Amino acid sequence: MPAPPSFFERVFGETWLGRAAMRLPLAFMVAFFLIPLALTYVWSVFERTQFWMKPGFTLFSYVNFFTSARLENFLWSMGHSAVSVVIAFILGFPIAVFVRRRVPQVAQHRVILLFLLPFMVSEIIRVFALRPVLQRNGLVNTVLMDLGITSQPITSILYTPTGVIIGEVMSFLPFMVFAGFLAMEALPKYVFEICEDLGAGRIRTFVDVILPLAAPGIFAGSVFIFVNGLGIALLPNILGGPGAVNAGLIATQAITALDFPLAMAVSAIMMTTLLGLLYIGHRLFDLTKILSPIT
Amino acid sequence: MNQFEFNRRVMLQALGGAAAAAGLGILPGSANAAGPLKIWTIGIAKVGAKDWSAMEQQSGIKVSYIAKSARADEAIQKMVVGDGNKLYDALTDNGGGMEDALASQKAIVPLDVSRIPNWKNVLPRYKDGGSAAGTIRHKGKIVSIPYISNADSMAFNYSKIGQELTSWEAMFDSQFKGRAAMQNDFGPTLTNTAIYLQQSGKQDIKDPSNMTPAEVKGVCQFLIEQKKKGQFRTFWDGFQNAVNLLTSEEVLVSSCWEPIQVIARRKSGKDIRYGTMKEGHQAWNNMWMLTRGGKARGQEAAFYKLMDLYLNPWFGARTLGGLGFTPQMTGVMEYVKANPKDFPAAKVKEIELRLKRKAERAAVKGNAWQNVFPKHIRAYQDWWSRVQAA
Repeated sequence: MPAPPSFFERVFGETWLGRAAMRLPLAFMVAFFLIPLALTYVWSVFERTQFWMKPGFTLFSYVNFFTSARLENFLWSMGHSAVSVVIAFILGFPIAVFVRRRVPQVAQHRVILLFLLPFMVSEIIRVFALRPVLQRNGLVNTVLMDLGITSQPITSILYTPTGVIIGEVMSFLPFMVFAGFLAMEALPKYVFEICEDLGAGRIRTFVDVILPLAAPGIFAGSVFIFVNGLGIALLPNILGGPGAVNAGLIATQAITALDFPLAMAVSAIMMTTLLGLLYIGHRLFDLTKILSPIT
Repeated sequence: MNQFEFNRRVMLQALGGAAAAAGLGILPGSANAAGPLKIWTIGIAKVGAKDWSAMEQQSGIKVSYIAKSARADEAIQKMVVGDGNKLYDALTDNGGGMEDALASQKAIVPLDVSRIPNWKNVLPRYKDGGSAAGTIRHKGKIVSIPYISNADSMAFNYSKIGQELTSWEAMFDSQFKGRAAMQNDFGPTLTNTAIYLQQSGKQDIKDPSNMTPAEVKGVCQFLIEQKKKGQFRTFWDGFQNAVNLLTSEEVLVSSCWEPIQVIARRKSGKDIRYGTMKEGHQAWNNMWMLTRGGKARGQEAAFYKLMDLYLNPWFGARTLGGLGFTPQMTGVMEYVKANPKDFPAAKVKEIELRLKRKAERAAVKGNAWQNVFPKHIRAYQDWWSRVQAA
């Protein structure tokens, strides 16, 4: 059976405009991903000058990264991001399943939109707003002390790795809900009915049916959260303890010292990590399935 | 060159210069003939009104304000390898050493201070041979005009602590364990710690502004030890962040910029003070510079008019009374007292006290100048990452 016509084919037909439009996504990828990525790798081996960098080939920045404490900082931030992914999955994916299964079809997109609304507020405001909630004299401590649950304010929430993880989960949870919902939307409702008819319990349905079928979506949401946790510098800056960093902050601090090749090397390492993750994810779950309905 | 050649060449140059000057509008009295002076600076460079209207009215020129971040790297990159000279006629710096970097790359031009009538008011330390003379000169030529300065110190919550703090010892004292903060920037944090270690005789450091790799290692190892003991609540980054740490009482002592203390005190109503540390402070001044492009576009006259205002006590009194920056000219108190309408008695007292504290801080022997690009910056970077990882 021939493939159905694409959106561009339907709008523009077999004209040159239609053919050009078909290549738009490819041009976009080249202009905004492949070229910047290639430049990042090239610049990362340039030599540092006093104020900029000059063409050359040196692995100094990579050696510096892997033999200094930056590697340790990078691995720590990967660890925090991984924990955030797990927590976001535990909290976010059941919401996606619930919306898909229990909310009437007509209202599902509206409910999901509610989870996306916080994204309309600037990230810095959302993160900074956590401070009056979590700090020494903040809402959480005041409530706990007023209820007599604690006698002293808990100071291990803010300005610790816990604070950064809370910030990451609060900031990126909608990614998991949205990606999870997309994955669940591709799952026909009769799948759940069959499970029920066959007498499968909730846990078995979740583990043996929902999870494998929604895996590409869950993985996509996880990658979003993981990469943002690694890259957004303001989270460790505002919520982390003394010297808390992530990969984004390591690169920013290299730029502050006008060490552009090092900043490029950090970015290149981050991008390689991301591409590696995407490759593994694609091999395991076939990421093209995210947007295709399951039949 | 013989006498004839000299005379002819000089005359032609003079004629050409005059024609160019007339064309570009840089003859006396033609300030702003080349359009508004495009200034790339930070908000704190203005006083008197929320916008630049008061500054324009006082200086007699029109300005076009372009907001600039507080990052030295961004400014240097824009001016040296970017299009800064096309975009801006004048700019302010972001810390010690930047004027040298920009002048060495010919991004800014030498200045003729004889065209600034109020240059006579500039603090004596900037005159030839003065203690701060080198901070505005490159290879002996004046390339920048100072407009504010300070000596960064430690803010402390007097309401909670109940005593005046006069030593950096407090920052590392176990009684403030988990209630102390320093800046998340290796520049000021390593310099202030080095001043403390040097002056208290704990480490042998020759120049806290420009340390050797071994000295940087010693300072960072000390900070790592303190961090592991749980001394620091956090390292702050950003103005609001630092204010919030003090107002929320998350920290009781914090090394910070003075406006942070001023705002934290104003916002919280608590007695948050800015101490004078007996060991010394990181001293800095901020300056105005004329870009190569600005000069080529004939903006010199307008630039000098604006600089004249920056060395006028009108500006000095307001920057001191507002955010608490040290004015760079003499005659400020005389001006304040002569203008009771603008400065009521209570404000005069506050300004007098502020100025007295500043004079005390500036006089501390162990003060060291801020240096945004020390010689061994790589060692600073690498060791700072170890402090972060500890």
